[in-house]
Amino acid sequence: MATTSRNIKVFYKQKKNTTTSTEKKSTKNPSHKDAAATFGSDVTQATALASHGGSLDLKDDFDEEEKVLAQFDMNMAYGPCLGISRLARWERAQRMGLNPPEEIESLLKGGKVRLECLFEGRV
Amino acid sequence: MEVDSPEQLQRKQSTYLSFDENFEIQKEVYRGQQYSQIYFARLHCMRALLYSLVPNWKSHLPVCTVLGLEEGKECIIVGTLYKHMKLKPCILDEYSKERSVAPLVKPHNFIHQDDYLVLEDESGRVKLGGTVLSPSVYVTGVVIALHGKETSAGAFFVEDVLEAGLPPQIERQLKSREDKYVVFVSGLSIGSSSSNPLLFQLLVDHITGHLGDEEEQGLAAEIVHLVIAGNSVEISRGLLNGQNLASKDQSRLSEPFKELDIQLTQIAASLPLDIMPGSSDPANFSLPQQPLNRCLFPGSATYNTFRSCTNPHCFELDNIRFLGTSGQNIDDLTKYSEAKDKLDFLESTLRWRHLAPTTPNTLGCYPFTDRDPFLIDSCPDVYFVGNQEKYETRLVKGSEGQSVRLICIPRFCETGVAVVVNMRNLECHALTFGMQFSS
Repeated sequence: MATTSRNIKVFYKQKKNTTTSTEKKSTKNPSHKDAAATFGSDVTQATALASHGGSLDLKDDFDEEEKVLAQFDMNMAYGPCLGISRLARWERAQRMGLNPPEEIESLLKGGKVRLECLFEGRV
Repeated sequence: MEVDSPEQLQRKQSTYLSFDENFEIQKEVYRGQQYSQIYFARLHCMRALLYSLVPNWKSHLPVCTVLGLEEGKECIIVGTLYKHMKLKPCILDEYSKERSVAPLVKPHNFIHQDDYLVLEDESGRVKLGGTVLSPSVYVTGVVIALHGKETSAGAFFVEDVLEAGLPPQIERQLKSREDKYVVFVSGLSIGSSSSNPLLFQLLVDHITGHLGDEEEQGLAAEIVHLVIAGNSVEISRGLLNGQNLASKDQSRLSEPFKELDIQLTQIAASLPLDIMPGSSDPANFSLPQQPLNRCLFPGSATYNTFRSCTNPHCFELDNIRFLGTSGQNIDDLTKYSEAKDKLDFLESTLRWRHLAPTTPNTLGCYPFTDRDPFLIDSCPDVYFVGNQEKYETRLVKGSEGQSVRLICIPRFCETGVAVVVNMRNLECHALTFGMQFSS
């Protein structure tokens, strides 16, 4: 009983954390992956990163680069992100005159990041 | 016996430029994408265009997105139209529990008085109300600007509509030209039971100058180009039911092509010709249809005057721009909207600056990711559609001095009518072939 109530406290603690800081939640994620899937409906785009819905991403690399790219994925001004690689989407935005940030292009060409959008393979 | 006169009639010539690269899909890579990308590309290009036109229309009103609508505030919104149609066939109807609603006979037109329009952009969608916008005129996929305000019920009450209008047209020097003619024909349907080979042979003979006296041959010498706008062959349905064909049936399958090739060889030996695929031709189903394979035309493809083209097809002859399709876009508009005649549909597609606004909703289309190839950037001088019921034509004038000749090309197998356009003044007349046996 005591353990479950402590689990519940940790559960709620995580929920509050998502609105203020995005770093903390990722460390507590692995054991509560199913619970994590239920919240993520906040407007802050990066919370969607937490809800894998099952598969345990052991690398869990929500490092700065991936977060910046996830923000780029979620930005509606550049169109939908599914079905197009991140670089192709950046180049399309460039051609359309939407002025996407240069750093995204250098990150993508740098090579250590995912070339596909956030939801690729998961939806 | 008369000796042939030493003067030989020379056929006139014109310079040809093709603009079909936009419609080719060889470079496209299919990575499992769906149609959200093409809708985004369409909305982005058209919205940028409409934003530039709004200041000339109503400069005093603010422009906002659908999510930025406030109740009672008059503003302008730009988005893609979606028409909710009660009678539109839906795959889910097959799975619904109550089956009584499904009509036994499918109507050719799915309009219902309860259809309503919704405007959508990437931030949200809003139902459109008011009487200015008639749902029967519009189809899903058109991008327009609307002036109105949000009602308390959450709908958008439309007070005025702005369509993109005719695209800008490059001015042509038409006055100092000589008579040169372009012939359009569609719906030859070789291989069908209703096609009469004599009629097509008469057409070929007339164009190549094998008919008539010197005066008529002189007229034929002024024909510089032939465009075949789709549905050149028709394979009988019995051969396409999915079963393995016996060898005698296999030869029946290729009979129409052999016949077509013989005729096209006669034409190609004489003048340049463009052949476009149509809905009954062996090309891909979704637009833009790719050119028919040259191996189907072993005889005629050896001529450099033979060109296999995409559908839609865009080309220039002597700097006059021609644009047209084999009919699928207009036929789809006929199913999902209403107009007085086919020319009205044709004019609407020009005013909406989109060849086939119902793609990819109800008309098959390739899922492009970075562009929408059906957007019309430059106004053509001649805009044609093939495989229609009858020959119709109209000259449309735009607000900035554009002038377009709209042509509906009838099905040749049913009517025996081909269309001839004079490049000097864009006048157009019908060329009818018929057979009458006196009883």
